[in-house]
Amino acid sequence: MIRLYDYELSGNCYKIRLLCGFLGLAYTSVPIEFHPGRAHKGADFLRINPLGQLPVIDDDGFVLRDAQAILTYLAARYDPARTWYPVSDARLLGEVGQWLAFADSITATASAARLHDSFFHDLDVDAARAGAHRLFRILDAHLWFAEQEGRIWLCPAPQPTIADIACFPYVILSEEGGIFLQDYPAIRRWCDRVKRIPGFVPMPGVFPAGPGLPPPLTAGSV
Amino acid sequence: MLNAPFDLWFPIASSSDLAPRHVFHAQLFGQEYAAWRADDGYVNLWENRCLHRGVRLSIGINDGAELKCQYHGWRYANRTAGCTYIPAHPADAPARTICNNKFPVAEAHGMIWTRPDGRTDAPPPLLSEPLSDDAIVLRPLPVNAPSELAAEVLLTYRFHPEGDNSSAAVTASRVAPFTVSLTSEAGGHTARLTLFVQPVDLGRTIIRGWLSGVTTPAVPLLQAHDAGLQVLRDRCEALARALPRPEATAPVYPPVPAELADLPATARSGGAAALRVTVSRKWPVAQGVMAFELRPLRGILPTSQPGAHIDVTLPNGLVRQYSLVNAPGETAHWVIGVKRETPSGGGSACLHDVVREGDVLAVSAPRNNFPLRQDASMTTFIAGGIGLTPLLAMAQTLHHRGLPFALHAFAASPAHLAFADRIAALRPHSRTHFGRTPDETATDLKDLLAGYAPGRHVYICGPGPMLETARRIAADLGWPDAAVHFEYFKNTTPLDLSSTFEISLARSALTLTVPPGRSILDVLRDNGVEVPSSCGQGACGTCAVALLEGEALHQDVYLNAGDRRANHTILTCVSRAVSPCLVLDV
Amino acid sequence: MTERRCTDPVILNQWHPLHPADQMEATRVTRTILLEEPLCHALDANGAPLVWPSAGSAPRLDGSQPSPLPARLAYGFLWACLGTPPDDLFPFPETAEPDRRNLATGTFGVHVSAGRAIENFLDMGHFPFVHTGILGEEPHTEVKEYDVEIASTRDEVLATRCRFYQPKAAASSTSGAEVEYIYRVPHINCAILYKSSPNDLERRDAIALFVQPVGPEQVIAHTFMSVLDNDSSDTGIRLFQQTIFGQDKPILENQFPRRLPLAPRAETPIRADKSSIAYRRWLSSKGLTYGVIPAVAE
Repeated sequence: MIRLYDYELSGNCYKIRLLCGFLGLAYTSVPIEFHPGRAHKGADFLRINPLGQLPVIDDDGFVLRDAQAILTYLAARYDPARTWYPVSDARLLGEVGQWLAFADSITATASAARLHDSFFHDLDVDAARAGAHRLFRILDAHLWFAEQEGRIWLCPAPQPTIADIACFPYVILSEEGGIFLQDYPAIRRWCDRVKRIPGFVPMPGVFPAGPGLPPPLTAGSV
Repeated sequence: MLNAPFDLWFPIASSSDLAPRHVFHAQLFGQEYAAWRADDGYVNLWENRCLHRGVRLSIGINDGAELKCQYHGWRYANRTAGCTYIPAHPADAPARTICNNKFPVAEAHGMIWTRPDGRTDAPPPLLSEPLSDDAIVLRPLPVNAPSELAAEVLLTYRFHPEGDNSSAAVTASRVAPFTVSLTSEAGGHTARLTLFVQPVDLGRTIIRGWLSGVTTPAVPLLQAHDAGLQVLRDRCEALARALPRPEATAPVYPPVPAELADLPATARSGGAAALRVTVSRKWPVAQGVMAFELRPLRGILPTSQPGAHIDVTLPNGLVRQYSLVNAPGETAHWVIGVKRETPSGGGSACLHDVVREGDVLAVSAPRNNFPLRQDASMTTFIAGGIGLTPLLAMAQTLHHRGLPFALHAFAASPAHLAFADRIAALRPHSRTHFGRTPDETATDLKDLLAGYAPGRHVYICGPGPMLETARRIAADLGWPDAAVHFEYFKNTTPLDLSSTFEISLARSALTLTVPPGRSILDVLRDNGVEVPSSCGQGACGTCAVALLEGEALHQDVYLNAGDRRANHTILTCVSRAVSPCLVLDV
Repeated sequence: MTERRCTDPVILNQWHPLHPADQMEATRVTRTILLEEPLCHALDANGAPLVWPSAGSAPRLDGSQPSPLPARLAYGFLWACLGTPPDDLFPFPETAEPDRRNLATGTFGVHVSAGRAIENFLDMGHFPFVHTGILGEEPHTEVKEYDVEIASTRDEVLATRCRFYQPKAAASSTSGAEVEYIYRVPHINCAILYKSSPNDLERRDAIALFVQPVGPEQVIAHTFMSVLDNDSSDTGIRLFQQTIFGQDKPILENQFPRRLPLAPRAETPIRADKSSIAYRRWLSSKGLTYGVIPAVAE
């Protein structure tokens, strides 16, 4: 079974838990205490990932680090429908890659601000927040225009992709870093949609959504 | 608060911001709102704060009919904003007056509007100039700058009517304090842009806009304007950074009503407030049963909960109680079902024969003496005849929430089954039982009530004999009193009114004598002590008061055996004393 | 007395938690903020705690610290006071029992007032909705009657006979059960709950929340446990507490006003809120003004 070196309050680890939930993929969580134990910088873990970063997976001896890399690997290997990582559509795949890189920028800003506010990391929080707002303005405009064209996910596909998974956690957790989503209504609606993907799992700091709009009822019903 | 023209309407969202089952987070002059559209299309605009513990409702759940707070699961109804359920106290009906603060709301020109002063008497015009019908709504653009500055900068906006980069003749003017109107003319085409600056608070603004008179496809034009306005946004923000940074506007948190500030005893909702409603529809729903749809003459109806009833004052002066059939979120009207009684005491016949569509009736606010627990592992509803009505409201509630239940409707024949459409919509959780004899009914009930387990609850409403049978069978099968909930239409117990006894009122230090032929309620009222009551025959529970000392002669059909043994409550309209004196908590 | 940014003597003259003691190393200087005052703290070479106002420049530990503040180590934490502290911290006798494990279980920054954080800690009704599947689970939502009093023996709020259904009551439990709690609020910003231990029916695990007020609307929440659990690892216990606190955080940060309102009509209490009502009245009776919205005569 897949082993996930995991920290429950980590948005990057959450990306992997989300994809496993959506794919119905079983895994064993190996907790690494990021705070306050800093176990990810301990000698034991550095042997697994010399970068000292979470998450890492071990799939039957194949060890892979980096959240975005793990998403591509798991989706390419375990999604029989090939929609989460659409390897057969070059343009779509390119767009997925573009948003995976964008997700890294969100981590560098929104996640940094959260580490500052919640876990007392010493960094320039104003710069981190300003950077996150620049990204969120781009993301909100992108999603608003996607809605105008009848699309509801980050990439122009009828189904969500790992791009949605990669961007979601540090967007939804950004308020813990003092970055409020009130000015990004299209992002807030997209977050609701992600939460309604079958197999969605919450994490501390993320509330589940209520049920979506059911299909139209038959005449005479209430 | 800002010194602002609060008597204007301000747009606070695009219509498309209020997606189905979503809660939009809006703000104007520092005041935050939770805006949400129910499945029936109604737009709710509430203070963004659950009245219980102040948690933002914009993080809550819109389930299409109600908004649920994330903190304690309190549920607030579409339209009325009244609390319908408090999970921490599942056996109680919430006080009817727990109601979120609502704001006036209008939907027009693809936007949602409100008035900061809260007044609704002056309807739109929302804009100083009319919009053409083909106006398309721009993407709202938040700006970290004061709205006055944003309006000034917007006057410098230049655009081409077809969205290309060639030059065009543009005129721009401030047509109202928060509105800038621009026209662009080129090559015989004229496009008009109306821009609105929404003051979020002193230092933040949202630019909203409409574009009209365009002929090219909408999305490229919207993108062109979005890009153009982003340039102006950046200029606004650069200018604003040079200004002294304004304080965020301090919101005002109005206090809750005084009666909610004290810790309530077991909540009992009630209210004699006379409302005037119009019979908006009257139609037969079964043989001998008429349904009435009631709408408020103005404003909205008060909040009701599943199991609630209203008192209806009829044109002939009689007052009758009818349960509401409404489903969650069905808050624009009430629906009651009225069976013609034979012989009629004058109530049902009057409603059937005299009251017509368009008539105005006086009704009470809803009372809920038959509250529905929503924490059962399984709920069984057993309805006999018109006893269906409160149980239908309850079953629809559990159905909406996806909680486990079974509704069993007993009727003489399919033609006698009221609200068959609503029952059908609950399949496969609803079942009908037609033409059963009393013995067959008892057999059915034994099946339905078999296998009691903790967490199961049963609600029974129907004719007295069926109710008695169901209660007896439930007791035989090991159901505890607390899991068996029932409501009688009427009390058929022969009443003994012959005794004389004293009542002592603990709160007012009065001692009064109740003579033969008079009820405790009569004597209380004779002496100026007001106790709410409804049915007057010991069936509905409205007139219950706490009994502090003395032994009661219970003659009602509302209290269950456990309540009677506990001897803590007495229904003042029919019950009397065994002991010489009763001490009442009145 | 030195001029302080906070002027409320009720809160100035209290001991406040600053740091988990087990995460302090001798002579390493750490910065923090208490009641808007930047502070430095360290253990000296003998392991004695030292807390002093930070002057802004790089802090050093050279024995010349300006105006050291009253400081002490207790219940797993470093405590300090900006005013005149009481002689004793509140009693927490369980921590002295030899067979217990005393453990600091996590420290988090939260944008909320101390009062709101404590009140959330006293609240059972949110378990099924916020700690779903762990401390509560629908449909088990009922808060049964419980008792609240100001303890007769000392000045603290005491809630007893509190019972709530929990699907997974502690790190070591695997099935659901009704758990009985006792809550104590022995300090305006500290609360302790006792719950039946899955490992010893006669005794109770203690879980404490010690809140460090950084500002009127910002805190550092320190969690601490004194438990009889011998099965779970320290890490397992800490991760469990972090999950719980991580779930509370977005609720606390979305509560408005952020300061705890003490006026009875500010919010709508129900019977389940008896302990929070008692807590608000208790704070009012002390005349606390910092981090709260005091009740004004209506």
